[in-house]
Amino acid sequence: MSSIEVNNLQKTFQTKRKAAGMRGSLRALFKPEYTSIEAVRGLSFHMEAGELLGFIGPNGAGKSTTIKILTGILHPSSGDAKVLGFVPWKERQKLAYHIGTVFGQRPQLWYHLPAIDTFMLFGKIYELDDRETKKRIAFLSEAFEIQDLLETPVRKLSLGQRMRCEVAASLLHRPKLLLLDEPSIGLDVVAKQHIRDAIKRMAQEENVGVLLTSHDAGDLEALCRRVIIVNHGQIVYEDKVSNLKRKFLTRKMVEVRYAEEVSPNFSIDGVEILKVGSYGVKLRFDTTKTPVDQVMSHLSQAGELVDITVSDPPLEEVIAKIYQDAQPGMRT
Amino acid sequence: MRQVKFILALWKANIQAAMEFRAAFFTQVIFMMINNGVYFIFWVLYFDKFNAVRGWDINTMMLLFGIAASAWGIGAFFFGNFISLAEVIVGGRLDYYLSLPRPVLLHVLASKSIGSGMGDLIYGIGSFMLSGYFTPDGTLRFLLGVFAGVCIFIGFLVIVQSLSFWLGNTVALSQFALSALLTFSLYPSVLFDATTKFILLTIIPAALIGTIPAEFVREFSWQSAIQMVSGSLVFLFLSIFIFKLGLKRYESGSAIQVEV
Repeated sequence: MSSIEVNNLQKTFQTKRKAAGMRGSLRALFKPEYTSIEAVRGLSFHMEAGELLGFIGPNGAGKSTTIKILTGILHPSSGDAKVLGFVPWKERQKLAYHIGTVFGQRPQLWYHLPAIDTFMLFGKIYELDDRETKKRIAFLSEAFEIQDLLETPVRKLSLGQRMRCEVAASLLHRPKLLLLDEPSIGLDVVAKQHIRDAIKRMAQEENVGVLLTSHDAGDLEALCRRVIIVNHGQIVYEDKVSNLKRKFLTRKMVEVRYAEEVSPNFSIDGVEILKVGSYGVKLRFDTTKTPVDQVMSHLSQAGELVDITVSDPPLEEVIAKIYQDAQPGMRT
Repeated sequence: MRQVKFILALWKANIQAAMEFRAAFFTQVIFMMINNGVYFIFWVLYFDKFNAVRGWDINTMMLLFGIAASAWGIGAFFFGNFISLAEVIVGGRLDYYLSLPRPVLLHVLASKSIGSGMGDLIYGIGSFMLSGYFTPDGTLRFLLGVFAGVCIFIGFLVIVQSLSFWLGNTVALSQFALSALLTFSLYPSVLFDATTKFILLTIIPAALIGTIPAEFVREFSWQSAIQMVSGSLVFLFLSIFIFKLGLKRYESGSAIQVEV
């Protein structure tokens, strides 16, 4: 069963153009010029109930605009969409009872109040009774490890602590679908891991579907099973995260360390030397062009190996490669 | 009933937020009362020289100030965003309200409390009590007049600020409209000619906030009652209609925001 169905969705914004300086301002005042910006261009996709779907792309790709249409915040210029059976821009209030939203740059917790007060307010907004709200807060505060933070004014929390409270607040009413727009923006590694673990746990325990937009490939790897990559308002790639890694992770990095000082000759065709020292070397090569055994045999002949590390390039690099190669409409 | 519980919860949260900065809150309340009192001294000095102007004496002026200040105070304290709606729209801050399952306009308006509004409300009630019209039926008419004033203040400013959906940034226009409405509501419209009176009943409906309710409290008349009630309903429903129409054109934004 689909939780999201999107067909040929389009969103165009009219933006006023103005040349620089006072002359430009005066001209714009008497003879305004407008440009149409197509933020979303014929987007079509679906998401199954309980699925963990990553929706990624560079700045201005149309990710946030799509999420805003799917939550009923924006009206599309054309196209159809159904979220949990509701047309978001026509049945916004009904839909809002069944979804949770987190916008990384737009906190929903009241800044001067402790998080517990916003949680209680949300209980009223979602029409939960006080006993049920308190029970749910107890469960979420344990899941997100925020027991000690609930009574501190939000303005005094760190960004990571606040984001944990934000995501917990969005789950207060037991939504079937969670729409997360850049939930890890600005967080350090530990804070990101906390958020990811908690979201993953909630998704598994309560079968909550998650649609996640992010710049962080780590979020994608940690949370999502399927990925949609958008660029310039169009889908450029759609597949399982595992397939994405298999197809685009053909480049390997190898780092070796020797027992004694060596001066090996590493001039193999197709191998890029990233770092070389007296006791080791770091290489990068494309496995489709240079056989792995050829590289390994060269390395082992050079001296006695004491350590070897083989790794994939970071997913950011993979995504950048897709962006470079991507043509609109490319799907698997 | 659902919406009443929701509004009560929002007001509770507003008061809790205000109590986080108690000293600032009480200072605002006290200074607003002093501010209104100082402004009224002008009329005390005026009526010291002239006993009445076109049938209006100092007591009627106190009544007018009582109604206008109370109406403004209720609007500012309980529906504080009615003054800053244009900024909310232009700044893309409606996203928060649109992602929650409640009527957007009501939610936005009641999500902010301006502390000084309580000062206006206390001053307004005090001014009415000292005006000489503090009788049981005078109080009922005062309450109706204040209710009309709240509806007109909020309705008019929501209409003007909703133009942001079409015109972009109307913050300056909204501030101009707010100043005009507030200033003219504190003068008896009997001082003006017929054209100005017409403007003050329609385009800038300040007479429906000050003069008409004050005359209604002073002496019951069906004409004043109908003017007040119909004016309130027209502005209230028109504001909801225009806001909803504009909401379809809402473009959001990427500015960083916080709910305070």
